[in-house]
This record gives sequence, C-alpha cells and structure tokens, in this order.
Amino acid sequence: MSESDTADDSLQPNVRQTPAGKATGERTDTLLQTEDLVKQFGGFTATDSVDFGVDEGELRCLIGPNGAGKSTLLNLIVGTLQPTSGRIYYDGQDLTGLEPNERVQRGISMKFQVPSVYGELSVRENARLPIQQFADGEERRRRVDAAIADAGLSGYEEVQASALSHGQQQQLEIGMAASLEPDLLLLDEPVAGLSVDERDEIAARIRRLNREEGIAFVVIEHDTDFVAEIADKVTVLHQGEVFREGSIEAIEADPEVRRIYLGGEQ
Amino acid sequence: MATGSTDGVAGTDRSLLGRVRGRLEGPNTVGNSRGFWAGFALAVVALVAYPLVGSGEQFSLFLVLALLGLSLSVVWGYSGVLSFGQVVFFGVGGYAFGVVSINFPDATGITGAVLAGVALGAVSAALLGYFMFYGGVRDVYVTIITLVATMVMNTFMAQTAGSEWTIGEAALGGFNGMPAIPLLELGVSGVVSYQFVFNSIELFLPAVGAVEVDPFYYLALALLLATYLGLRALVNSDYGRVMVAVREDQDRTRMFGYDVKRVKLLTFTLGGALAGLSGVLYAARNVYIDPQVFALWFATLPVIWVSVGGRKSLLGAVLATIGIEYFRLSIEGEMALVVLGALLLVFIVALPGGVVPWVSDRLAGSELEMSEIDDTDAPREVTDS
Amino acid sequence: MVNGLNLAFQFLDSFAFVVLAAAGLAIIFGIMGVINLAHGEFILVGAYATTVSATSLGLPLPLAMAAGVLVTALFGVVVERVIISGFVPNWIGQRTVGRDLVEPLYDRLADSMVATFGLSLIMVQGARIRFGNSIDQIATPFGNVAYGEFSYSTYRLVLAGVSVALLVVVYYVFTRTDFGTRVRATMADEQTARALGVDTDRTYMLTFGIGSGLAGLTGALFAPVLSMQPTLGSQFLVEAFVAVVVGGPSVVLGTALSGGVLGAVNATVTNLTDSTTFGRIALLLTAILALRFLPDGITGFVERVRTRREEGE
Repeated sequence: MSESDTADDSLQPNVRQTPAGKATGERTDTLLQTEDLVKQFGGFTATDSVDFGVDEGELRCLIGPNGAGKSTLLNLIVGTLQPTSGRIYYDGQDLTGLEPNERVQRGISMKFQVPSVYGELSVRENARLPIQQFADGEERRRRVDAAIADAGLSGYEEVQASALSHGQQQQLEIGMAASLEPDLLLLDEPVAGLSVDERDEIAARIRRLNREEGIAFVVIEHDTDFVAEIADKVTVLHQGEVFREGSIEAIEADPEVRRIYLGGEQ
Repeated sequence: MATGSTDGVAGTDRSLLGRVRGRLEGPNTVGNSRGFWAGFALAVVALVAYPLVGSGEQFSLFLVLALLGLSLSVVWGYSGVLSFGQVVFFGVGGYAFGVVSINFPDATGITGAVLAGVALGAVSAALLGYFMFYGGVRDVYVTIITLVATMVMNTFMAQTAGSEWTIGEAALGGFNGMPAIPLLELGVSGVVSYQFVFNSIELFLPAVGAVEVDPFYYLALALLLATYLGLRALVNSDYGRVMVAVREDQDRTRMFGYDVKRVKLLTFTLGGALAGLSGVLYAARNVYIDPQVFALWFATLPVIWVSVGGRKSLLGAVLATIGIEYFRLSIEGEMALVVLGALLLVFIVALPGGVVPWVSDRLAGSELEMSEIDDTDAPREVTDS
Repeated sequence: MVNGLNLAFQFLDSFAFVVLAAAGLAIIFGIMGVINLAHGEFILVGAYATTVSATSLGLPLPLAMAAGVLVTALFGVVVERVIISGFVPNWIGQRTVGRDLVEPLYDRLADSMVATFGLSLIMVQGARIRFGNSIDQIATPFGNVAYGEFSYSTYRLVLAGVSVALLVVVYYVFTRTDFGTRVRATMADEQTARALGVDTDRTYMLTFGIGSGLAGLTGALFAPVLSMQPTLGSQFLVEAFVAVVVGGPSVVLGTALSGGVLGAVNATVTNLTDSTTFGRIALLLTAILALRFLPDGITGFVERVRTRREEGE
C-alpha cells in the first residue's frame, strides 16, 4: 500500500524531493553512482577506486570477506566518512560536501552495524522521532502506530528500548530508518546475531518495503541464504575493490569468489 | 529516565485545562499527574505567601539564581552540552544591564537595559556556540572551552580598573566592580512605570494588620514561574524531543535528518538568554556587579545545582538551586563550605542522576505496580528466546 | 639584549609553571578519563606539607619536599580508593547490604568534575580551618642571578630545569618500565589489558597515586615562591587543564609541547604589554583557539600530519 503523502492536508511540508517513479517496476533510472571512490586511512586503503551503482527500487546485497570495505562504502555514501578522492552521485546530484543529515533529507537512510536505538526512550518515543518531521496530530499517531506494528512491536509501545531483545531492536531500528521514507536504504548487517525465524521476518520485511514502497536497498550481510532470499543483484567487495557483480546464482557458482572467502589470495 | 508516565491521559482531555496540561506534560519532565499539579499549585501559593512570614528580600536572590540553574538544565540536561560558561552570559547580562542603565537612568532606559542584558547574553552565547559547534569541537572540549572562557572573562574584567575602562558614564571598575546601578524601574518614562527594587508594597491583611512586601520578589517569582512553564512546554514539544535525542545520541540523531549543530546552537543561545536574564536581575537586585560572577567557584555552582537536583529535570534544577543556595547562605561559619562539599560528593556518587528523578522514580514505581495487573499483553522485560 | 634575556627567563618561568602544573593531571586525565577539579588542592597539600615539614619539623628543604610528595601521593591513593573507584564504599556495601553502593568515576567526566569539586571545597575550607588564612612561607633558596640592571631568581631557573628533568623521567617510566607498559596498555584499551592479565584496578590506583604525587611535587617545588594560602591551588588549575587538553593524547610530549607553546605566548604577551594579566589572557585565548582548530591537541595533530605524509609516498 503506497503512501500518497501529498494528498493529506494534515501533514507538515515534506522537506525533501523524491525522485520520480517510486512505483515498483520502474527501475530504469540510476539512483546512486559512485565514481572512482577512494578512502584511505593513513597508509591503508579501505576503498579502492570503486564504481558502485544502484538503480531505483533495486535490492542489492553487498558481500565480501571481513575487512573488504563494505561498511566503509556505506559510510561514505551516507556521509559519516569523507572520501579521499572520487565522487558520489545520488539522483543526479553530487553529494560531496553534504552533511549526513542533508543526505538523509534527500532520501538516503542508514541502519548501522551496531544497533543504536535510543535505549533510554520508549519504543513509541523512538518510533516517533523520525516521523515527527513529516506528520502532525492524528496522521502522526497513525504512522507511528503503523511503524511499530510493522516492526512487530505492537503492545510494546511503552517499553524502554534498552529492554528489548537484540532482534526486536534491529526491527525497531529498521522501522525507524524506513519511516524516513527514503529512496535508498542502507542496512549494515541487519540480521547479525538473530535466530533463523527472526531473519526470515526481516527478509520478508525488506522485500515488502522494496516492493510496496519502492525503496532501493543496499544490504551488507554474510549469510548467503539470507542474501539469496532478498537480492536482485549482488556485489562482491574484496580488499576495497569491486570484485564481482551479478545475480546470486552467478556469484555462488564463481570459483574466484569462493577463493577469496576461503583464503589464499591476500 | 523512566518512561512509565501517565502519558496520554491529559492528552485526550479536550478541555482547556486538559489541553494546557497536554502541552506541559510528557516523558521529558517529571510530574505528569493531577497530584503533581496540585502540589505545584500549593507550592506556588506558599511562595506567594512567603514574604509575609520570611524575608522576601533575601529569598528573591534564590529565585534569581534558579533562572541561572534552569539555563544550565536546558543546555546540559536537555541537549547534553555541559557548559561551565553559563556564568559568562550571566555576567555579560549583568554588566550590560549596568552599563546601559547607568547611561540611561530613566524608566525607558532601564527597561531597555533589561532587554539589552538578555540580548547580549543570547548573542554572546550564539557567538561562542557557533565557534564551538560549527567548528566540530567534541563534547568534553566544549566543556573545557566554556570553562576557559569564564576564566578569560574573570581575568579580563578584574583588570578593568582604570578610567579608560568606561563606557559612557559607566565605569567597569575592575575587581571592585560597578556600583550605583540605577534602581530597577520598568515601563516607559512619563507614561507608566514601576520601581521594583528598594520599594515596598503595603498590604493590609485581616488578622495580621499592615504588612510590607518586596515587589522585586514577586517580579522574580513571576519570571521564574513563566520560565519554568515555558521550558516545560518547550521540552515536551517536538523540538524538545529532538533536543533529548541529541543528548542521548547525537550521531544517530543526525542520521534521522536533523541538523544537530543547529539544535545545539539554538539551545545554547536560549541558555545564554536565560542566564543573561538571571544576571540582569542579579545586578538589579544588588544594584552592583563585580567580576566575582566570573570566578571559578561561581562557575561551578550551576553545575552543582543541576547535578544534585537532577540534570534531566527542570524542577530538579529549580529546587536544588533554591535549596543549596539557601543552605549555603544560611550556614554561618567555616563549616558551611565543608558541608556543602561533602554533600556534593555524596550526592553525585550515590545519586548520579540527581535527587528529583530518583524521588520521581520511587513515586512512579508505586504507580506502575498497580497498572501492571491489568497489562497482560505487553511484558516489561523481554529476553532472547 | 637585556630584553631578550628577560623574555627568555619569562619563557622558562612560564614553561616550568605550565609543565609542573599539568604533569600530574595529564597522567590522570589521559589514563583514567577522570577530571580532577581538586588538582589545585593536591598541589596545596604538597605545598603545605612541605612548608610545615620545613618550618615546624625543621626538616632540611629537600627532605621536606620529599615529605610533601609522599603525603600527597598517599592522600591521592586514599581519594582514589574512596571516591574515584568507589572501592571502599562498595567494600562496605558488600559486607552490610550485600551489594555495590557506587559506580566508579572512570570516564564519567561531568560526574568526576562535580565530585572532585566537592572534594576541593572540603580541602580548601579544611586547610583554612586547620591552618588559618595563611601560614609562614619558606624562604626562597639560591638567591638571584644578576644581569645588567635586572636580577632573576635562581630558584626559578632551577624550576625550569626540574620541569624538563621531570618530563624525561616520566617518559622513561612510561616507555622503559613494565609498569609504564601496563599503564599505556590500560590507557589504550582497558578491557583488552585486563584480558591480558593486567590488574587494571591496581594500575588505576597507582596511577592516581603517582599523579597526586606529581601534584604534590609541584606544590613542594613552588612552596618557597608562593604565598601559603588555602586558595593557592586555584592559580594552577585552569592552566593545568588547558595544557593537558591542548597537549593531546601523548602525555609526555603533549605536556612538553603545550608547555612550550602556551609558555611562549604568555611570556611574549607579558613582555610586550608589561602585564602578566594580559599574558594570562593570551594564554587562555590561545588554548581556546587550539582546542577549536586542533581537536586532538597538538600531538594528535602531529600524528595526523605524519600519517598523511606517509599516505603521500
């Protein structure tokens, strides 16, 4: 069920522009494109001339051995790290110099590796924080309730977020990131440390958000079953470079990919 | 902070009282029940009646300083910026008031001087805040910069003794301070004005007879109440929620699209304005101001008040300021500071969250036990299966 | 020529003051994440203990100074056990109500500020109550160095030398002794250090004791040149703080460099304006600018320049 947020009068003005064609199926436009992106920390190159592109509404998974530079790439996209050189284009705009909160205003949203909900605040207060920018009064209450329900936390509204289980915190955080109505949602290991059932729930949720809201995803994960469940396309990073890109079947069958995971070439 | 509040009870009450309460209540302040407001009303009545039994002239000092305490509570408790520099804006406000009112000693001029003091407090806070927050200075260094700024003011103002340090008619006076600040008279000269300082209102009470009360006390009380309620409303509003989010995790809050630097700057500026107002009233009350307001020990006092009272509680800031100052100034003799120091130590180590939240949690705890009986669907604690 | 010499002496004076004021604090702040607002009062303890030992007990000055250092170090250990780590209250709590009563103050900057401020109030007033508003001062030893029309206290030159020697000694302890290695490990990553078998609890206690001892040393060294009042500690506090913070993560090098930079600014402005007040203001303003533009302090900045240069190769 897509949201028609322009039709509702009680909303506060939505402060960002959304790219055209949010409905599913229109995957013709490039949403994100990095150009020769480089990030160095001291003498160490974490990101090495990466050209990484994501289309609108695409569900991309980013995999690779530890230390391959996956989190670094996401951090560069959202702006918590500054590139050493290279450019990032989002919806045709060069993101250089934009602060993270400005990028969020333009439609990029991120859930970090370490769950960071506001532990001292209740579930409702957490869920309300991103939404209060976009909606007021009755509309706001409805959207907050919907976000909480979507995260499977109905009934837990007054519970302090730090009292939630790890899986519930992940769900809450994904919900908070999604309620910003992004066009690009970056998830850094959303199912780390969760049970198989919880992972299936989150996989279903990601697919639903992708299908119904038209949100493009870049998901870092290690679990190949999970990746197979959700990915349209997979990008493999190795030592900071894009190693392979393709469907999950192609990647899984590729002996080179297996080699970099199992060791050998360093 | 406890989240088990009676949030929503007042919110659904559509009467005027209900709507006002809805604005003033929320998880960011203690006291969200009818009982609280009843107690609050009683306290206000008691404060109004106080000058009849005690010294309004003395007590007004505590009311003035409570504004300073509130300014730090807003900045520290609600945005996470520990500032030792509130006294800078306090002093700037006081000195500005002195300079302007000495140069324009009529009612209009003095009223303008009040505004000038508040404005200068705000502006100096905005400048320092911009320098720090937009320069990406990290939290602990923000604290240290505010402390150093206080020292700079202290050192600078203490040496303004010479005659060249005069603005118009007002001599800054070095460490001797600026005396002979005009009596606080607000209004427009020749049209309507009233003198609040060194004045008295004569009341005739039925059983007691003629009583004289200090109008400045009531001015300070009115301003304190207005500020407290205004801050309550602010802190429970959307903006207040963003402030709290910044306090809890500013990096995460950035990621929700909020301009954290701007939030901190605005809050810091508000804190500066409040501290400036407090400084204005302080100078007006004493008809004098000196660089002692920039001394290290005085700079630490607001931190003490807010730490003991509860940094995340506006009410705690007010009560602790009044309580600690009353205590400090009423204990005669050498042991006063020793006792104060010991009190501080014990409180911060035993009750790091402060007194008022601790009390509030105790009271809320007994409420929760009642409601848990009905609440079968939502468990309080969740564990990994 | 004479003015140049004046400037040089003023610089040495300022350098010694900043380094000695900051030494103990740098170690405590850097390693334990505790802000000790009673640092000035620890200096007070050292100064008073030295003075009392020399005047009332008649000890020769070097012994009196040693006594001052020792007393302050022991006092520091007591403070650490009772207030900073909460070891003593928790020990009592375990034996009476069966649980810990307090949390340690490590890495709790605001809370440690408030707690140590309370401590400083107690100490200043305590000193005033016990010793009155001032006590007799020890005479400054060594006389003066004369040059042209001016003369300069030889003792203050000695202080400059001592401050350099102190930096060298601390550097040696940090880098060449086992204890120093344990301290640096704890500073870098407490959990890992503990997992590797370092008794971090004892390390903290000893560190605070040493930091206090150094503050005591400062008090002892300055005892002959300061007026012995209960408030003498406050003149050191802010300079100590800014020096530590401006210095950056490297304890020894940071303190040395900030002592140098801040001392130079202070001396130059004092010399130009003929006013120690303006010198102090200049020092403080420099500190503010340094904190704004060098967020990791001087040594942090040096580190970053060095790594960036490595990248370029």
